[in-house]
Amino acid sequence: MSATVATHHAGSFEGIRIIAARELGAYFDSSIAYVYTIAFVILANSIFMNEFFLTGTVDMTAFFDLMPLLMVLFIPAVTMRLWAEEKKTRTIELLLTLPIRTGQAVMGKYLAALGLFGLFLVGSLPIPIMLMVLGSPDLGLIISGYIGLILLGGMFLAFGMFLSAISGDQIVAFVLSAIVGFAFVLSGQEQVVAVLDGLIPALSLGTVLYENFSVMPRYDSFVRGVIDIGSLTYFILFIGLFLWLNVQLLERQRT
Amino acid sequence: MTDHQGATTATVDPKRDAKGAPTASDRTDQSVMIDVKEVTKRYGSTLAADRVSFEIRRGEIVGFLGPNGAGKSTVLKTISTWLPPTSGTVEVAGFDVRKDPLAVRQRLGYLPEHNAMYETMRVDRFLRFMGKVRGMSGGDLTQRTNWVVGKCQLEAVLGKRINQCSKGYRQRIGLAASLLHDPQVILLDEPTHGLDPLQVAAFRDFIRELRPNRAILFSSHILAEVMATCERLLIINLGQLLADTTVTELRAVADEKNTSLEEAVLEIVRKGGKRT
Repeated sequence: MSATVATHHAGSFEGIRIIAARELGAYFDSSIAYVYTIAFVILANSIFMNEFFLTGTVDMTAFFDLMPLLMVLFIPAVTMRLWAEEKKTRTIELLLTLPIRTGQAVMGKYLAALGLFGLFLVGSLPIPIMLMVLGSPDLGLIISGYIGLILLGGMFLAFGMFLSAISGDQIVAFVLSAIVGFAFVLSGQEQVVAVLDGLIPALSLGTVLYENFSVMPRYDSFVRGVIDIGSLTYFILFIGLFLWLNVQLLERQRT
Repeated sequence: MTDHQGATTATVDPKRDAKGAPTASDRTDQSVMIDVKEVTKRYGSTLAADRVSFEIRRGEIVGFLGPNGAGKSTVLKTISTWLPPTSGTVEVAGFDVRKDPLAVRQRLGYLPEHNAMYETMRVDRFLRFMGKVRGMSGGDLTQRTNWVVGKCQLEAVLGKRINQCSKGYRQRIGLAASLLHDPQVILLDEPTHGLDPLQVAAFRDFIRELRPNRAILFSSHILAEVMATCERLLIINLGQLLADTTVTELRAVADEKNTSLEEAVLEIVRKGGKRT
């Protein structure tokens, strides 16, 4: 007792850990975690198996190619509640008058969402295990693909959480995040790039977006087994940017 | 309670001396714990608090009285660090809410309006979460949790989810959560809302028990509730602090005019209404 009276707050990492643990617990309390994980595992595995039997090659490229579009739908479902629910139930006032910094609350929630996303990925592990039993897949390629997928998911989670804070409504947050996710993914499709380039040829909008904005060229480099600094920087910058914006937004919204 | 009090007074953060605030050994110390100076709060064009000033000292229980929408919650929210005041300053135990919000929050037990809590959490887990965020762990956490659970009579609902609890329980869970860390300053926004008369009586006893060495401010729109617990009351309406008075003074005014206390308060509120 005597020690706690003097401190009354958790350390920086401890604070983040406590918030993350509560948030992850909330995913399981409301059974969202079970439903999403099961849905993800069934979808991802069945679509992959379909491709696998058609092509018959011992690699996971078909799985990783499918992931961006699946993430466009799954990640917003994970992030939509993070701030919108706190606002609707007004627990945000309780949370942000605890002796923690807003940044700790943001990081805690982000790590909890990342944890749930990690659970999805664990659910996909039967695929590489099966491939290893059946033949000898390129493990480096698989690991690099997973790193790319974690970064892609991490980026989608970061802007999904930010949009949950902006909108304050779960449905709106879901729709906005899905739209932004689509934009990041579709701007990497050849046909979309061609159409956008055709609109105003002088600007070659599609190419500009593809080179500077789209998540696809960066993600694809990981899927092809290339871990390059530029792609890594792209993901880290975007994740950092959205987390930072999230903190700024919450501070502004106090008024 | 008594031995617990002893433990508290012996260990009240010696750090605070540096800020010129009280030392632990001084039981009769009456330093200012909540210092609200000229606080104005605007939401867009709405003036929710208009140059509100008051001080609350250690050992005081003060009732914050006013009709719904008078600005009680707004003022409490600025003290709790939730809302920055548009102008003016607020200090809690010598720490400015804007410059040092974490230091303020560490010393503050706050029960917000509507008593929002994490609905799907189990009561025991919610209390442990609140304790952990405040840096408690192990034996301390268990000891403090047991104390608030006993005081707020929550034994029966510990294994339930918060959304399965009755309104009376919910209010006591919120109160328990705000008192876990043995705060020196306690802010309660409509704490008796949803309690039945028996629970209200138990709440009053509990608050009086907490009084020594603490500064307690609670809001209500019911005069009888405020009078039963506090000697001093602040009356607010339309964002303006209309009176900072005592029950004794108020009673004298009422006797003089040969009216009831309620009438005396309403008189103050009405006059204030004309002023704006």
